[in-house]
Amino acid sequence: MTEFLQYLASGLVVGCIYGLVAVGFTAVYNVTGIVNFSQGDMSMLGALGAVGLIGLGLPMPVALLVSVLVVGLLGIAVERIAIRPAGSDVLRGIIITIGIGVALQGIAVIVWGTDAQPLPAFSGETPIDMGGVTVPPQALWVLGCAAALMLALYVFYTKTYIGKAFRACAMNPKAAGLMGIPNTAMRAIGFFLSSLVGAIAGVIVAPVALMQYDTGVFLGIKGFVACIIGGFGNPIGAALGGLVLGSLESLSTGYLSSGFKNAIAFVVLLGFLFLRPGGILGEMDTVKR
Amino acid sequence: MKKQFVIPAIVVLLALVLASGNAYLINLCVVAAMTTLPAVGLSLLMGYTGQISLGHAAFVGLGAYASALLCKSLGLNPWLAIPLATALSAVAAWCIGWLVFRLRGHHLAMATLAFGIIIHVAMVEWRGLTGGQDGLADVPSLQVLGFDLRSDAAMFCIAWAACLLAIVLAGNLVRSPFGFAMRTVAENEAVAGSIGIASASLKRKVMAMGGAYAGFGGALYAHWLGYISPGPFDVGYSVRLLLIVALGGFSGLWSVVFGVFFVVITSEALKPFGRFDVVIYGVLLVFVMVRCPQGLLAGLHQLFDRLSGGARRRAGSDA
Repeated sequence: MTEFLQYLASGLVVGCIYGLVAVGFTAVYNVTGIVNFSQGDMSMLGALGAVGLIGLGLPMPVALLVSVLVVGLLGIAVERIAIRPAGSDVLRGIIITIGIGVALQGIAVIVWGTDAQPLPAFSGETPIDMGGVTVPPQALWVLGCAAALMLALYVFYTKTYIGKAFRACAMNPKAAGLMGIPNTAMRAIGFFLSSLVGAIAGVIVAPVALMQYDTGVFLGIKGFVACIIGGFGNPIGAALGGLVLGSLESLSTGYLSSGFKNAIAFVVLLGFLFLRPGGILGEMDTVKR
Repeated sequence: MKKQFVIPAIVVLLALVLASGNAYLINLCVVAAMTTLPAVGLSLLMGYTGQISLGHAAFVGLGAYASALLCKSLGLNPWLAIPLATALSAVAAWCIGWLVFRLRGHHLAMATLAFGIIIHVAMVEWRGLTGGQDGLADVPSLQVLGFDLRSDAAMFCIAWAACLLAIVLAGNLVRSPFGFAMRTVAENEAVAGSIGIASASLKRKVMAMGGAYAGFGGALYAHWLGYISPGPFDVGYSVRLLLIVALGGFSGLWSVVFGVFFVVITSEALKPFGRFDVVIYGVLLVFVMVRCPQGLLAGLHQLFDRLSGGARRRAGSDA
């Protein structure tokens, strides 16, 4: 039983990260109809950026904050320069965001090389024992940050004026526009939020999972799988899907073999795509469109 | 340029390259030929049928590994192994198509990407069969009457002959009724269905063809180099194929050749600067998709037209 709980604990930690990346996907998808294939690379850039800033001598909290904010602003720039002029064609959107992802990875290689970059843990390395289950302190940071961020996003979406305008725009951009909600501003907010959340995910997970230039690709795919599990475009489903995927991965790694770790995400992805493309919470009609 | 002059022009250019005897140039052209084959297949799938594939490099790898293994473990003659590997790649592509073409848009893109990664991971992890990261060495070369055809010059002739044949065949296909059906599916699947085109089976067939083109290119590559490893068949290669097809404007088989040479020459030119090529690829991909979705050539042509047209108009108003 302890073994099971141990696997589950580490699965949930990873699942939080997948969930955050997945929430980033939905923020862009809902207002633009585009799946941002460079989503994972924003996490990578956030983490490596923090490493770089610490290397420059900035104190850690400042470095984390600056890195995360800069990546968020980068999201706005990406939307303005590459996404907006291209219209809403699905194929073009996919290829453009792939291009952005490739360019970001290339920049990361030039700046940081191909080696994994370590980010120090936020509060030491001494493992914490919780009734037989040992977790690194960073795991608590991940859980706490993810929970706080999800809560903040929930409050933003449901309670604030901008959040309501954002959701209106996601439901029906034309009608929202007629009500005087600036569509372009909402798209910019979508990209800012998604990059910001992605970068935060990257920064908090970096101390436990080494980050290198191509980690973002896998994070992005896992986040996408999480979205599919939860039902695409649904932020709550995305978070849920992340936790499910993380636990599945960790349990299969523990009980089967570590070689299966990456395969399990794809098996889950294909399984859901073919059997239940609407995900657990369901969004059948938008998927088949 | 008139269409009927394209083939002679390319043949003359290639003959000039061969006659120049410049080893570096010939080598570059062989690489270009090996890239052209999968790119033509991808163009059929993406440009003419409107279906995205982000895992195309996997079929190239499949062809390369299949052909190499058939020769090495079963002792087959490469002349037999290459068609078999091509067929295997086509069958694999058909099967994957059977699975993924239930999906559309983003989901299709992600599923093909996932398949590409799974096959690449298999190449790395299945050490007993593929040799893992170290790859397979001593792949036998093609031979004719005891002559070894591993040299760049020999491969140059074989590969480009295959390429030109492949493009002509693909061109015939595109102009056939099947080709019109492909383009109808790309434009609107509902319309295609309403006039009796079985779009699901059509997409699978085109996917199988794309797999065959890719597998054939990969098999030639294996027997030319004599050594294969998983490295060249990763997602990066899929993205490069995507860039090539995008540069050529997706639909246009001869513009694929332009895209190939553009990418091969760019990557050679950027080699001294380290890893900058990846950044340039990404930025180019974004630029082409945003500014000239009809392809780089068409974009430049339009720009030229606008400039010269503007000049003429100005000249007219002056007079």
